Amino acid sequence: MRKGSELPLRAGRLRTSTLLHVGALLAGVAVALSFPSMAPSPYEITVGIAILNYAVLSTSWNFVGGFTGYISLGHGAFAGLGAYGTGLLVTKAELPPFAALFVAAALVAALAVPVGYAALRVRGASFVIVSIALVLILLLVFQSWASFTGGSRGLVVPRPFPGMLRSEHHRTFYFLFAALLGVALLTWWIIDRSRFGMGLKAIREDEDKAQSLGTPIFAYKLVVFVVSATFTSLAGGLYALWFGDLDPVFQFSILSGAYMVLMALLGGVRHLYGPLLGALIVGYALEYSKVEYGDTPLHLVVAGLLLGVVVMFMPDGVIPAATALLARFRTSGETSIREVTAAELKERHGQGNGTDESEVRNSERSGSGG
Amino acid sequence: MLRGLTVQVPAGAIVCLVGPNGAGKSTVLKVASGLLAPRSGRVLVDGADLTGHGPQRMLAAGVAHVLQGHSVFREMTVAENVLLGGYTLRDKQLIAERVEFVRDLFPVVGERWTSLAGLLSGGQQKQVEFARSLMVKPRVVLLDEPSMGLDPKATGVVFEQIVRMRDAGTAVLLVEQNARRALEAADTGCVLDLGRVHVSGPARELLADPQLGELYLGGRPARR
Repeated sequence: MRKGSELPLRAGRLRTSTLLHVGALLAGVAVALSFPSMAPSPYEITVGIAILNYAVLSTSWNFVGGFTGYISLGHGAFAGLGAYGTGLLVTKAELPPFAALFVAAALVAALAVPVGYAALRVRGASFVIVSIALVLILLLVFQSWASFTGGSRGLVVPRPFPGMLRSEHHRTFYFLFAALLGVALLTWWIIDRSRFGMGLKAIREDEDKAQSLGTPIFAYKLVVFVVSATFTSLAGGLYALWFGDLDPVFQFSILSGAYMVLMALLGGVRHLYGPLLGALIVGYALEYSKVEYGDTPLHLVVAGLLLGVVVMFMPDGVIPAATALLARFRTSGETSIREVTAAELKERHGQGNGTDESEVRNSERSGSGG
Repeated sequence: MLRGLTVQVPAGAIVCLVGPNGAGKSTVLKVASGLLAPRSGRVLVDGADLTGHGPQRMLAAGVAHVLQGHSVFREMTVAENVLLGGYTLRDKQLIAERVEFVRDLFPVVGERWTSLAGLLSGGQQKQVEFARSLMVKPRVVLLDEPSMGLDPKATGVVFEQIVRMRDAGTAVLLVEQNARRALEAADTGCVLDLGRVHVSGPARELLADPQLGELYLGGRPARR
């Protein structure tokens, strides 16, 4: 039974937890915004931009992966389409750069509807294969259609701020990527707390059960797939305006989709900041290995090792693992079935007419079978 | 496959389908809740023909289905599980009223409101499923093997709750392997075999029939 003093205690813990959460958020935002001023050289800012780009991409991927459990390895296709769409709209249609960015995102969103309509009819491994097929088809199209896309020669995208010094260019794009990440995180947070999000999470757990309760599963999956594709496209388009040089081999790469999955899994797909944390770890590790070991495939080995570590030791990601560890420390002073004898329980409950629910809960959480 | 089968569920009654494995009991429920579309035949709710409609429409018509096994969303809280039951409802006031109703009917739901549903015992999870099915104020609840995997004590609690649901005005169409226990709680029984209704009638009469007892209920009734 619940003790009378437990409720105020829990309310107090809730307030402390909220305060800690808000404090950590404000500290994180302050560090992120002051990073360009503290960076010793423009190179560090470009590393920051690369990590922010990874964070936007993996957060975008997490709209589908985190909410519905559908693992797409082909999300690089939407980033590539956003990048090439923006570049082509600037160079061929002569649209202003940031208008091109949003028009390209709208076009990708429109394209994601038929793609999602076809791909989301299958589940599990079949969906993964369909998503890979998409990125491979687009790679072939953008490589072969050289007269329009530049083919293997690539596509040069004019800089949106031509008069700006290079360091100032990086600084500006750092803040643009940070703003896009903020919008993506806010959107994820809103969906997570909405009725729509509750339906998506039910789909993630069991589509058939969710359908039996009247959740419009296909419509929901399609909507969140389009939202995910749109944010991925915006990240790709912003990258095109920042980097200014596009190559289909890198833009339509299965590897970029795999990185998105790895980052989200590493941080924790069910947590708002999971993909961001994953991007920080993977992004830094990739940049470090590229700088230290040059143009070798070592960064792929690093990514593979990280994936292995996640799957073996933290299948739910760093954030859930750390949260569980903290919870164990926090509840270490409380009782569990292992620590209470049958005689003590009988004495505590008089006639032994039931098991204390909180004790059952503790024992189940700690994995003790009794 | 179902053949020439008719099952009627009167308002405020428990109708129990029993029969051997493969008799078509769960299929009847899936057709009735819109999870399966029949090739022929009709599904009528209060005289309205709803044949071929999906679960959303059937829920709106007052038909709720509790699937076989433990069908709670284990990684979601009890609150989220219950609220998902009212997913087709839009009126916030009505949702609040229904939440209050099911929390009263199933006290464990209120007590474990913020717990993850996967941390509850099997019997408690089943009560969450019942509460979830009652969120839409259904006219009939379809229960597929509610005692599956439960110990005798938890099974007893589950059957008590089924009777309470009936007493609260909800009709129940019950599929159960624990045939004798189910018929004891039911008003009417139907014995299915190979997709057909083998025999139907008042549950007490079916229970008292020694031949049916031998064939379908796991032996003769115990002498009292």
